[in-house]
Amino acid sequence: MKIINFCKALILLVAFLGSAGFAQSNKVLIVNSEKAVYRYETIATEFKKVLQQNAYQWAEFNLDSHANVEAELKQFIEQENPALIYCIGTQAYSLVHNVAPNKKMLFSAAINWRRLDVGAGTYGVANELSSAQELSLLRHFFPTIKTIGLLYNDSFSREYVETIKKDALASGINIINKPIDDTQEIIGALNELLPKIDMFWIISDPVVLSNKESVQQIFQAAQQQKKPVYAYSDVYIEQGAVLSISADIATIGRQSAGLAMMANQDKVPGGTVQSPAGSMVTLNKCALDALKLKFNQDALDSVNKIVGCEQ
Amino acid sequence: MKRILPVFFIFFVFVVGGGWSAHSDERPRYYFYNTETNINNFASLKMEFDIYLSNHGSYLLQPFDLRENFEAVIHEKKGDVYLLSSWHLKELQQKRVPLEIALVGTSKGNTTQRKVLSAKKDIVNFAMLKNTVVAAAGSEEYVHSILKQILGKGQETLLKDIKILIVPKDIDAVMAVGFGMATAAISAESGLDKLAMMSPNQFKELHSLGFSEKDYLLIAATLKKTDQQETQLLDVLRKMSETDAGVANLKMLGIDGWRAVQ
Repeated sequence: MKIINFCKALILLVAFLGSAGFAQSNKVLIVNSEKAVYRYETIATEFKKVLQQNAYQWAEFNLDSHANVEAELKQFIEQENPALIYCIGTQAYSLVHNVAPNKKMLFSAAINWRRLDVGAGTYGVANELSSAQELSLLRHFFPTIKTIGLLYNDSFSREYVETIKKDALASGINIINKPIDDTQEIIGALNELLPKIDMFWIISDPVVLSNKESVQQIFQAAQQQKKPVYAYSDVYIEQGAVLSISADIATIGRQSAGLAMMANQDKVPGGTVQSPAGSMVTLNKCALDALKLKFNQDALDSVNKIVGCEQ
Repeated sequence: MKRILPVFFIFFVFVVGGGWSAHSDERPRYYFYNTETNINNFASLKMEFDIYLSNHGSYLLQPFDLRENFEAVIHEKKGDVYLLSSWHLKELQQKRVPLEIALVGTSKGNTTQRKVLSAKKDIVNFAMLKNTVVAAAGSEEYVHSILKQILGKGQETLLKDIKILIVPKDIDAVMAVGFGMATAAISAESGLDKLAMMSPNQFKELHSLGFSEKDYLLIAATLKKTDQQETQLLDVLRKMSETDAGVANLKMLGIDGWRAVQ
């Protein structure tokens, strides 16, 4: 009888340890750079929804809720011992990379992720759509556009512009790019560029977009020469961009969760960084009508937001 | 008692106030909820539709982002017209909600569509989708149901091993395969047509692994026994394809006209 009881206790113990081990191996730690940032919080919310559906456990650490962030984070990681750490924002990634360099990591919402130290145990979802995605969508909305112009700074955006040119070639679009070293060169560059193009593309270049005046100059010159402006972000819609295409933030959260689960099971190669799978399209109907620009009406069901003149 | 009174008062003001504000504008409405997209362009949709509708009567569009809220309005049985997917209508009819098809949306002359499960050509059968990501637009319940239908009977285990990535629209789903974020995509056939136009190289890399049954495009439904108000609402819908402004609004819903079902 004693032996039977002992066996029962042993089975229960093994089952308990097994389940605890399973739970431990599935645990994800979410490190959020700033919980108050809507973008970050939306990503975290969607991420958690998917984890919950798949019976994963998680713990959260918000950098803005701790005084001694580095020490407390280190302690929390040791205490929770997560299988993977999900970092939302560059600050979270940099910190986790310092305090737990040997942990599996996944990042999203990191600006310019190519500048991050991405090792074999790191995965990510980029913050921006790839230029190939943007060009494909742009072609969907404006199939008649053949030549697009852009300004950039060679030190910051040379590689990106080279990628754009390569992707544009595959999409049958010609890119005319003009490098500038200073915002004072913007007007001259635009005067040279605008007559040669069908559309101007605002890329995320810190020199071209270094101040409000340079942005105003772009829109004023484009308006004078009746050229539409396409932008990487909907913040430029208000200023007159006809279209903006950016990454859908809720999808980034869901996509990151899928990638986290695959990475946890070693089903994706280390170092994988995906482009965002969802797009957010804003159309400025007011600017479109003012320019009498041809727009693919069949693409209207792919537009997330339409802005009219009265808004 | 002193404690209960203020609570009761707040509750009364909230419930009565909420009800009043919801019913303060008694104009006839088109209630809209679509399980097949996650675009959530409701502000734009409402603005554009209301401008159009104001020229054709005193009507409003009321889009919903939550299925429960949309269904709650149907259960109020106020009449009006309900715009919803064919799949959703069937679900409601199974629950004995007395909705009937009044009009079906058309696109390029068609009233029906199939959903396609497409993947790159190296994925040659369903079994290869095990432990992969399938991208699709729509509510999770809808996508799951369509995937189950496409895979067919006896694939329950495989279904559990497929991770569904919900994206905002069809075009995102098919592009996700081309750009390597998903192994396969579920989209309407028109989604693949769009890909063929915008990215012919990506389109050539894909092939169809399976199809769903044919189903109607967007549906305009009414509760049984259409009254005069509903007839007027349906008439406005039917005539939308006769003007450019009407067609532009319909295109936001992914259709270009309406047709009565015999």
